[in-house]
Amino acid sequence: MVVKSDDNKIICRCEEVSLGTIKDIVHHFHCSSREVKLRTRAGMGYCGGRICRTIIEKVVQDINNEKVSNESQLSYRPPIRPVTFGQLGGSENDDES
Amino acid sequence: MSDLLIIGAGPAGLSAAIAAAEEGLSVTVIDEFPKAGGRLLGQLHQEPNGEWWNGIQKGEQLSQRAHQLGVTIQCEVSVYDISQSKNGWEVYTTRGEYKAEKLLLATGATESPIPVKGWTLPGVMTIGAAQIMGNVHRVKPGNSCIIIGANVLSMAIANELKLCGVNVKEIIIPKADITSNEAGNPEQVLSSLMRLTHLAPTPILRQLGKIGKMVHPKIAIRLFPKKGIRMFDIPLRLKTAALEIVGDRFATGVRTVNIKANGEIDHTSEKVVDADFVCIAGGLTPLSELASIIGCSFKYIPELGGHVPVHNEQMQTNIPGLYVAGNITGIESAKVAMAQGRVAGLAIAADITNDWEQMETSINKAIENVNITRDKALIQFHPGISDARKKFYQKSEVNLTQISKIKKREA
Repeated sequence: MVVKSDDNKIICRCEEVSLGTIKDIVHHFHCSSREVKLRTRAGMGYCGGRICRTIIEKVVQDINNEKVSNESQLSYRPPIRPVTFGQLGGSENDDES
Repeated sequence: MSDLLIIGAGPAGLSAAIAAAEEGLSVTVIDEFPKAGGRLLGQLHQEPNGEWWNGIQKGEQLSQRAHQLGVTIQCEVSVYDISQSKNGWEVYTTRGEYKAEKLLLATGATESPIPVKGWTLPGVMTIGAAQIMGNVHRVKPGNSCIIIGANVLSMAIANELKLCGVNVKEIIIPKADITSNEAGNPEQVLSSLMRLTHLAPTPILRQLGKIGKMVHPKIAIRLFPKKGIRMFDIPLRLKTAALEIVGDRFATGVRTVNIKANGEIDHTSEKVVDADFVCIAGGLTPLSELASIIGCSFKYIPELGGHVPVHNEQMQTNIPGLYVAGNITGIESAKVAMAQGRVAGLAIAADITNDWEQMETSINKAIENVNITRDKALIQFHPGISDARKKFYQKSEVNLTQISKIKKREA
């Protein structure tokens, strides 16, 4: 029985970043979750990291043997929901996204 | 401009709106979802006294009461940014800008993901999504399903899916790896289920709770049958792990394997179990992104489900004029959220009228009610909530001047 590696499973769905890619980056650069995000675009897609943020933080913390901190490394930035340029510009009925 | 803007029309937000409006405040409530009620909309379970808790009905009652008091409730409004000005808050939404003197975040919780291999296939959803499809939209996601992730939430929703006519084939756990955490460890899963209170919503959980007082989880998991135990007639299999979700264009089943008490995999037992859809249940965590962009301080408290905005028992955050209530302050039952909402509504009324003295008795009574409700809660999502809360509030750095003045005078 061949044990298939889980490294090709997707972590960031929007940017299609795999677990293996994230692990490699952390091992290679000994870096923070923020650096992982900047190097791989994990958590920078359409959803704004709403789904994968906690997983990225956890994987990085585990590999680096760190405790969970009170403040997140992967900060939230507005807009925290996908919005159209029309909505950003103040047009209330722009639903053509 | 309203006196108070509440983000989130769930049990906490609506209860806060009612309490504040009863004190004469002008209140607006906005929510992303097409319908008010929040997490109440999904809830349907039987309480130990035999009565059914019908969340949809409860949500409607709260909305109606709020309407009677002149509260404006607007749905399908998503907030994407917030800024604070001298006069209060400016809230930017997909339906334009809202202004208010005080702001209450009652955004609730979000589900924690567990990335199982194949989880991006169509037909894979979170357990909460399946609940919303069934109970709110009245759409059956499929005829049969497998649930990956054994916790209080997944067991409650498994029963709801069964009531919707779905054949829930089994509740299993994810394969242990760096992303699945304790959810993939049979002993830890059983241990957290065993710590449930004697008030747990099902006889089997109550039994587990009793056993938990006598037997160490390490021994209990060894005795746990490989075939699992039945709960609401659904097999709960803590010694079966999901290796991957299979399917070509959409999910058609789960490749599972037997595991031992210590998590060791028995590869000879590998098989594929067919299902129309697959639910992943990773538990809940406070949805606090808005508190974060406003600049609240945070504290990581595992018992409360993760990172929570720092706040005091009056539900004030460390940002003046910003309040929180409900699951954003920690994962607890809807009843606790409602009680917290009332505290927040009253505290905001006191804040606006600047008459804390007048309101003190009713605020303290409401706080007391939160504690009583918490102690009586049917479902404790995480063990040790009460203690973690007490510790958190004792250490809380949030001391609004008015409150501390009252306290000092008392002393």
